[in-house]
Amino acid sequence: MTAGARPYYVAVGNEEQVFKASFRQGLSVVLKGPTGCGKTRFVEAMAYDLGRPLITVSCHDDLTTADLVGRFLLRGGETEWVDGPLTRAVREGAICYLDEVVEARQDTTVVLHPLADHRRQLPIERLGVTLEAAPGFGLVVSYNPGYQSVLKDLKDSTRQRLVAIEFGFPAGEVEEKIVAHEAGVGSDAAGRLVAFAHAIRRLETAGLREVASTRVLIAAGRLIAEGLTAHEAARAAIAGPLTDDPIVGRGLGEMIDVYLRD
Amino acid sequence: MTDFADNDATGDGLRRFGLFASALAGRPVDVVAAAPGQRAWTDGDTVFVDASTNAHDLRCALAVQSSLLAAGSLEPDIVRRIGRRTTVATRYLAVEGHRALAQIEGLLPPTVRALIDTDIAARGDSPEASLALALGREPLAEPPAVFGTVKVRNVLAASKNADGHHAPRGGRQPQLVDVPDDADEDADDVIDIFTSPVGGGGGLGKLLAKMLSMARKLGDGGMPGADTPTHRVRSGPAGGGRAVVSMATAAEEGSAGGACGFSYPEWDIHRRGYRADWCTVQEAEPEPDQTGMPPVPDTHGLRRPLARLGVGLDRCRRQPQGDDIDIDAAVEAQAEFLAGSAPDEAVYIDSLRRRRDLSVLLLLDASGSVGQPGTAGRTVHEHQRAAAAALMVALHDLGDRVALYAFQSQGRSAVRMMPVKRFGDDVSAVVLRRLHGLRPGAYSRLGAAIRHGSAVLKRDGGTARRLLVVLSDGLAYDHGYERAYGAADARRALSEARRQGIGCLCLTVGAGTDTEELRRVFGSAAHATLPRLDQISATIGPLLRSALHSADVRRRIPEVPDPKGMPA
Repeated sequence: MTAGARPYYVAVGNEEQVFKASFRQGLSVVLKGPTGCGKTRFVEAMAYDLGRPLITVSCHDDLTTADLVGRFLLRGGETEWVDGPLTRAVREGAICYLDEVVEARQDTTVVLHPLADHRRQLPIERLGVTLEAAPGFGLVVSYNPGYQSVLKDLKDSTRQRLVAIEFGFPAGEVEEKIVAHEAGVGSDAAGRLVAFAHAIRRLETAGLREVASTRVLIAAGRLIAEGLTAHEAARAAIAGPLTDDPIVGRGLGEMIDVYLRD
Repeated sequence: MTDFADNDATGDGLRRFGLFASALAGRPVDVVAAAPGQRAWTDGDTVFVDASTNAHDLRCALAVQSSLLAAGSLEPDIVRRIGRRTTVATRYLAVEGHRALAQIEGLLPPTVRALIDTDIAARGDSPEASLALALGREPLAEPPAVFGTVKVRNVLAASKNADGHHAPRGGRQPQLVDVPDDADEDADDVIDIFTSPVGGGGGLGKLLAKMLSMARKLGDGGMPGADTPTHRVRSGPAGGGRAVVSMATAAEEGSAGGACGFSYPEWDIHRRGYRADWCTVQEAEPEPDQTGMPPVPDTHGLRRPLARLGVGLDRCRRQPQGDDIDIDAAVEAQAEFLAGSAPDEAVYIDSLRRRRDLSVLLLLDASGSVGQPGTAGRTVHEHQRAAAAALMVALHDLGDRVALYAFQSQGRSAVRMMPVKRFGDDVSAVVLRRLHGLRPGAYSRLGAAIRHGSAVLKRDGGTARRLLVVLSDGLAYDHGYERAYGAADARRALSEARRQGIGCLCLTVGAGTDTEELRRVFGSAAHATLPRLDQISATIGPLLRSALHSADVRRRIPEVPDPKGMPA
């Protein structure tokens, strides 16, 4: 992971200091923020800075403890133990990043408890062993607190084992710089995309489940860099992904015309 | 920029500008056509613009009015001091318009930014300062035409209407959570031509609304409101008959158990607030039908689509892959291998979605309107009863928890819920007899029925996945529960239920209610109209799945907009 260039990340606050301090102290970290605001990129940049490999697991509904820790497989007449991603990170001293951890079931996330607190151990009951985390191991989880689900939430006992870093969308000029850099477009086009996104983010209950993230702005910027006009790009990369509702879609189309048509 | 807005900016076409206006105003705002030639204005919730204006001016006018809302320029305290003096209002707009635009300059598109006169904008730093300038004698330039106008009376009327909370008689409900949901948005997408956006809460307004509002239609020539059947007729509804309230329900009122019933709030669209403890729901045992044996519904076609709904995880042995090795299976496989035969490779234990994890409450409308003839020579009630029976039996057979409640009402204090089958009951002949003993009568206070249904479901459902199925003709009507009001309350009740994690599906079987009307009542909940029952098996699976899914939608919590924290 140390080879190559540092993943592009612009700090907006003290998040880098907090992360590195937590890592050195062996504390686990939760990254909270809306989708597409740069959580994953932040972890990549931090793993690069700290010189640790990064193992990412996207959590989902059916993720079981065995998917994280590992399982026995039968090969011929023999059983063979196969490490899961979490066990691998514990053995190798890597940063293990569990993306959207709330999606995983609560009985799965409790396996993180002994790892996330002062013990820093991973008991593997199937093997009858308890692994001590290798130096350099770090546990990072992310979730999007803006979404409320009746069925899913992070247990308090899990939450209190984690240091929280909150993410929001970057301020106007920073976001403009990010879009310009990532998409390879001029600051004028980036500025107009960002102004449009800021207008969308002011909409409260307009039928949008999620607002325009930095990620969709970059996607639109990349389409512009390919030669599409600004409003074509915004329709394809911003309005389309945000809504399926024809009425809201027309409203967004109107906003695109206002902000992005020459 | 082209003048394309001219072509399709009809009254309804203007609604698409609502998103733009809401974004600038920082709160939900509607855009509606004003009278031709009239200048743009707003009452705080709605911006009125002349639809024939060209696209550029239209956007500028919307931007100015929305920025006035964002900057707090139209707060009642301020506009009250303007009073009826139109010259002061014009002078105020001349200063405050620029100031308001400048305050959200970072959000404005470039074409609108050009409107701002920074010299004027710099003269005041608050609405009060602008007002002081307007009240002074200093000469001020006329505001540009696109700034529109400030209509003091309308702003005050609308704010009064919004603040006019109903004071409940018996103490306030501890806390009524406001639903940050699409309920309001649903309300807004109903075109209500008889309710004035500037109020109309007064006596005359209400009278006019009552006189002019579309009444429920009865075939071809029914009297408005005269739709409670007084008796059952074969020839269908005759026009002009005098309405006599059916006594089928009144006689049983005493049998409600004497209990004080369950109280539920009701959403008042006119006041945009809840009326606490407004409706009383009583549970009353339905009379079983004593004539003959009710038919057992045919559920063959329903089983397949329903079988895959709401299943939970279960540990399953002998799977081809999984978390753990199934020792028994592995030992057998090894023995078979050593004995020379081909071993079974399914030797793992896996977590699979096989366990039934669903409770369903069916709400059956038993109001007078479903006694009307529907399609295929049967009444709407007969269609819906058959649908309810089929769904109940099919879901019960699959191992889900099912309850069936019928509802009808006589005013807000007598909403009757008849438990045909409670969650604990078995499907038996008694249940089917009770179902067939239901006689349509009285009215339907749909909102209260839905609230009671979701409360029962929450209390007795006992599973993580819960589903409320409303079988109704979509005509929500009762004493003091006229169409627009009832539709808004029903929509609100449905979105409350979804917010509690209960999936909602509304089914209309065999009724001729038009789809626009159903959309008004059921809003964004999943709903379907089926002419005949046999079409249900083709559609029910996807409908129920989307209903379950909608209850699990993770929502974005709206942040409180901060006009100061705007990007530069």
